[in-house]
Amino acid sequence: MDYSGHGTIVPPREMATTPLAPTILIVEDDPALRTLLMRLLREEGFQPLSAGHGAEMARVLETNTVDLILLDVMLPGSNGFDLCRAIRRESEVPIVMLSARDDETDRLIGLELGADDYIGKPFSKKELIARIRAILRRAQGGSQSSQPRGHQQMTFAGWSLDPGRRELLSPDGAFVELSGAEFDLLLAFVTSPQRVIGRERLLEMSRARFSDASDRSIDVLVSRLRRKLAVTGQAEALLRTVRGVGYLFTATVERR
Amino acid sequence: MKPLRLWPQRLVGQVTLVLMLAVALEFIGSSILFENSRIYPNRDNQIRRAADQLVTAENILENTPAAERPQRAAALSNRVGRLVWSPQSGLVDRERSAEHKLRDQFRDAEPSLRGRDLHLNAELGHALPRDTHLKVALRLRDGTWLTLKTKIRAAPWAVLLSSVGSAFILGLGVIAAAALVLRNLSQPLRALAEAADKVGQDAHVRIGETGAGDLKLVAKAFNAMQDRIAGLLRARTDALAAVGHDLRTPLARLRLRAGFVKDAEAREALEADVDEMTAMLDSLLAYLGGQEDPEPRRRTDLAAIAMTVVDDAVDAGRPAAYVGLDHLPVQARPVSLKRAISNIVENALHYGGEANLTLTREGGAAVLAVEDSGPGIPEADLAGVLQPFHRLDIARARNTAGLGLGLTIVQQILQREGGTLVLKNRPEGGLRVELRLPAL
Repeated sequence: MDYSGHGTIVPPREMATTPLAPTILIVEDDPALRTLLMRLLREEGFQPLSAGHGAEMARVLETNTVDLILLDVMLPGSNGFDLCRAIRRESEVPIVMLSARDDETDRLIGLELGADDYIGKPFSKKELIARIRAILRRAQGGSQSSQPRGHQQMTFAGWSLDPGRRELLSPDGAFVELSGAEFDLLLAFVTSPQRVIGRERLLEMSRARFSDASDRSIDVLVSRLRRKLAVTGQAEALLRTVRGVGYLFTATVERR
Repeated sequence: MKPLRLWPQRLVGQVTLVLMLAVALEFIGSSILFENSRIYPNRDNQIRRAADQLVTAENILENTPAAERPQRAAALSNRVGRLVWSPQSGLVDRERSAEHKLRDQFRDAEPSLRGRDLHLNAELGHALPRDTHLKVALRLRDGTWLTLKTKIRAAPWAVLLSSVGSAFILGLGVIAAAALVLRNLSQPLRALAEAADKVGQDAHVRIGETGAGDLKLVAKAFNAMQDRIAGLLRARTDALAAVGHDLRTPLARLRLRAGFVKDAEAREALEADVDEMTAMLDSLLAYLGGQEDPEPRRRTDLAAIAMTVVDDAVDAGRPAAYVGLDHLPVQARPVSLKRAISNIVENALHYGGEANLTLTREGGAAVLAVEDSGPGIPEADLAGVLQPFHRLDIARARNTAGLGLGLTIVQQILQREGGTLVLKNRPEGGLRVELRLPAL
């Protein structure tokens, strides 16, 4: 067996020693970056696999169960977007797109094709690991919860939320910029309307992108969200504080 | 068969033709008007000629038998003066000053008429140029009468005066016609000038390839030149952008490798370096890609973007604050707009120590002001800071990171959204940067 070249499949012996470690497939054509990612993921306790291009990725997927795919956009042959679309036809495995082009159009295309996240190069180790952990956590919880995916639009009190494009439109149709954490928090509220949600649960559901994630940050996030949702005093009613417990999203949500 | 084309295709031909037509028209018109006046002899000459005709006819008729006189008189008539012989004078002499004067003039012209019986009747014509219709009857020596009916044309200056009006109108007409044609010729030139003025400001200016042949060529060449310039620029931009994108992979490796450095201080320094390089690449790519941003314009909440930028700064532990409207929609590209606001806030935090954002609506304009309490910008440099790659001495002295593209990008973005950027030094110290956009 060839352990040094790309496309290396981690031997089963190692897999057996860490049966609970999530398996992550890295699809990246730059050998040095691939090696670095392998090393980094292994150090963080993941089970990394790698592929240099689409065909190789298909071979790896045939013989392994993968928990998450790190997919580079610029690949020789079929690019990351094509591969993402192909994977989505068969599987719901979480996909994180890696791209040298940190522009919004690419990000939107990736998310619309069903990718779970999009990270622009160069990213730091901390950032990458945090995102991977968040997505894995969401994927594990996601099987039971009704976390929406794809293009299903949701509307509440005139506002509309598109989880696929990660966009919020105000009642007058204006695009309202939300930070990643704010969007995740709003998504958490909108997917569990008219239910009291505790701070810890909210923290978990919003990806914990905050460096010092604490109860306090959720309060800060909620107040920021309230201000952005403020339309003629409507916002206070949208997000109601339940003293000592958490928050309640009061509006009814329609899905389309 | 090719249709015969009388209208010349080239500019020189067209202008020449117009000038030729104008000159010809003026020439013909004035000839017709002035020729008459030129061939008319003056009044004295006309009277002398009439007197001469009268005396000559008299001499002939005196020696002609009475029976033949009517025919002979008719034969002696000409276009100007008609001669009639009659046994009695049918002409009543009008004793007015005009007749007196004319009689004297006749006698001066032909001294042989002195002492002869002359009946005159002069009627001034009613129509301009007021010719005098003159009848002169001369008593022949046998008592019969020879009458000359003639017309003394008004003096040439009067003819001139009467025709000057029409000449003037003719001239005006010719000039107006020529001006109209020339205006049509210059129309494409003006369009070209306007287009040339816009090149480099808007994305692309096409001018219609119309007008005279030469102008069509100019328009074609102009459009082709623009295409070539755009092509060259695009090639350069693409090359630079490709390098920029390709640099991201080694930077990504470098950043990940930094994560393995055990020495915390060295690791942080490494990461800061990578961040700096990334920021420079980002600004370069934003500057290069500015014109061809594929992001669509849409109704966008300016307030939400400003809040997000401020919140990001606050989360990074930096002194930024936002006050003002909760919502203010504008028509813009949200990602570009966020970059513009981030650049300004970043500048304020870096050079001014703080960033205080205020969003207001002033009539039809959304005004986002970013104020700091730093040293401001020397008045002389205020315009210069918008130039690409311009860095103030203070930035160089502090060895600040960046390429000097920040404000250039902001300016570029605002121009594309129909907004303006205003930089002012605050009287109480610090800089105030205003982004003005049309509010919806």
